Amino acid sequence: MANYKKIAVDGLVKNNPTLKLVLGTCPTLALTTMAMNGIGMGLAVTFVLMCSNAIISLLRKVIPNQVRIPAFVLIIATFVTIVRLVLDKLLPDIYESLGIYLPLIVVNCIILARAESFASKNSVLPSIADGLFMGLGFTLALTLMGAFREILGSGQLFGVKLFNFSIDFFSSSAGAFFTFAIFIAFFSYISNKIANHNKLKAQLKSNYDALNKVANKDPIKEND
Amino acid sequence: MANNTLTYSPSPHVKKPTSTRAIMIDVCIALLPACVMGVIYFGINALLLLLISVVSAVLSEYVYLLIVGKKTKEIIREFDFTSCVTGLLIGMSIGVNYPLYTPIFGSAFAIVVVKMLFGGTGKNLVNPAVTGRIFIFISFQTVVGNWILPSSGAITGATILPGTPEMPGLLCGVLPSISNLDLFLGVGVAGCIGETCKLALIVGGIYLAIRGVINIIYPIIYIAVAGLFAVLLNKFDFAFFLPSILSGGLMLGAIFMATDYTTTPNTTKGNIIYFVCLGLLTTGLRFATQMETVSFAILLMNLIVPLIDKFVINRPFGYKKKVKGENK
Repeated sequence: MANYKKIAVDGLVKNNPTLKLVLGTCPTLALTTMAMNGIGMGLAVTFVLMCSNAIISLLRKVIPNQVRIPAFVLIIATFVTIVRLVLDKLLPDIYESLGIYLPLIVVNCIILARAESFASKNSVLPSIADGLFMGLGFTLALTLMGAFREILGSGQLFGVKLFNFSIDFFSSSAGAFFTFAIFIAFFSYISNKIANHNKLKAQLKSNYDALNKVANKDPIKEND
Repeated sequence: MANNTLTYSPSPHVKKPTSTRAIMIDVCIALLPACVMGVIYFGINALLLLLISVVSAVLSEYVYLLIVGKKTKEIIREFDFTSCVTGLLIGMSIGVNYPLYTPIFGSAFAIVVVKMLFGGTGKNLVNPAVTGRIFIFISFQTVVGNWILPSSGAITGATILPGTPEMPGLLCGVLPSISNLDLFLGVGVAGCIGETCKLALIVGGIYLAIRGVINIIYPIIYIAVAGLFAVLLNKFDFAFFLPSILSGGLMLGAIFMATDYTTTPNTTKGNIIYFVCLGLLTTGLRFATQMETVSFAILLMNLIVPLIDKFVINRPFGYKKKVKGENK
């Protein structure tokens, strides 16, 4: 039985593709000038990731090990084409603003990495869950970064003007690297804090259990 | 500890009584004439900008140290005037028509991101003041628009490119309409607060050289190479030499920003390479972009300093270079 809770925590926090694994940095840096871009790109990647994970997981015993990368890319490219055609028809604005980065999802490291390290080793349902949560983690990181840069860089959020003040640095590419670094730093700081806290808690619990064990055992010994 | 007459200590055994604080106070004093001239030329707003940038630089260092967990008493005891110098330089390298909040962002960025996050004074990779200036320049240039002329207060028109305070068409092969003497004294020259009066900057530089804070040769190399390269690029017309070295932020950058101890190479040979490259880069970029590029050149060269230090090493005493073809 696959541990879905672990998959969810892995995708969103522990192995967050953008902030922990530092995968897919090219769209992360280029597209986060606006929060809306982050959502569009993130959801497109999520869709492709779920579908490709499902298919690769189904075919994992059929695909020969030597040609797995071309096979993966072929499967991913199929879904990217679907996403492109659908977006072009239904949401032309987002299609325009994502530009070249939409077809480039084909070679996005997140999708290949998940195909390689998860989908080709696990059964279908956990693979879909992994794709979903990895994609959501990516979307979350991109949207937050986009919001941060949009607020500071152009004084607006989701296209709504908030105030008449902007620091252009944050909408430039230097600002992209800067924002990315700051986000990684804060994310690592917080997740390390949580990990340490959990470790401490587990240690305390094990100590407590050991004590209880000793306390429970003692009377039995006396009886003997 | 036992009463031992022998003391053990790591390597710098001969110490000079000068401290970082003394050096930085010297730099502050050397910057004062240029600041005073800037205030005289550009009015009370210039003074306000300078004060805001210095205060915000010092405050952001204080707040950072508080967050890191230092006590106020400790911070005051260890305060070396580096953040003062950084703030002052940032204030001096922006125009007088910048909104009053701009130096706050520049100073905070310079101190917190460029200096403190890399480990504090002496550990920064690039010069904080230069980076702060570039941060302001990138962030608020659209808000500010053009440079302003002193005294008259009129915004300079289309003759001056944005970002080229005193070089109208200079690099396109047209000499500026301002005379060299005016450029030297800063009379009627548009530009940043602290960079228009070259005389005051040179006085500050000579003071620093006499106090032994900087080696006067290096800024001279930088300025001379920049001027000569401008002459070369304009087909050996020596009329371009003086205007190109007297315009823009070249003096300020060469004397006060490029000579920062932390971001210059360790060896004499390395320093010469560094300052020659700076001169070439400054003029080359000016020529290519039609913008004032001193701060960008310094930033780029600062990043190359670790490389220079790696490859340019002093020959150890008694070490012989291996002759080619000689067996071991």
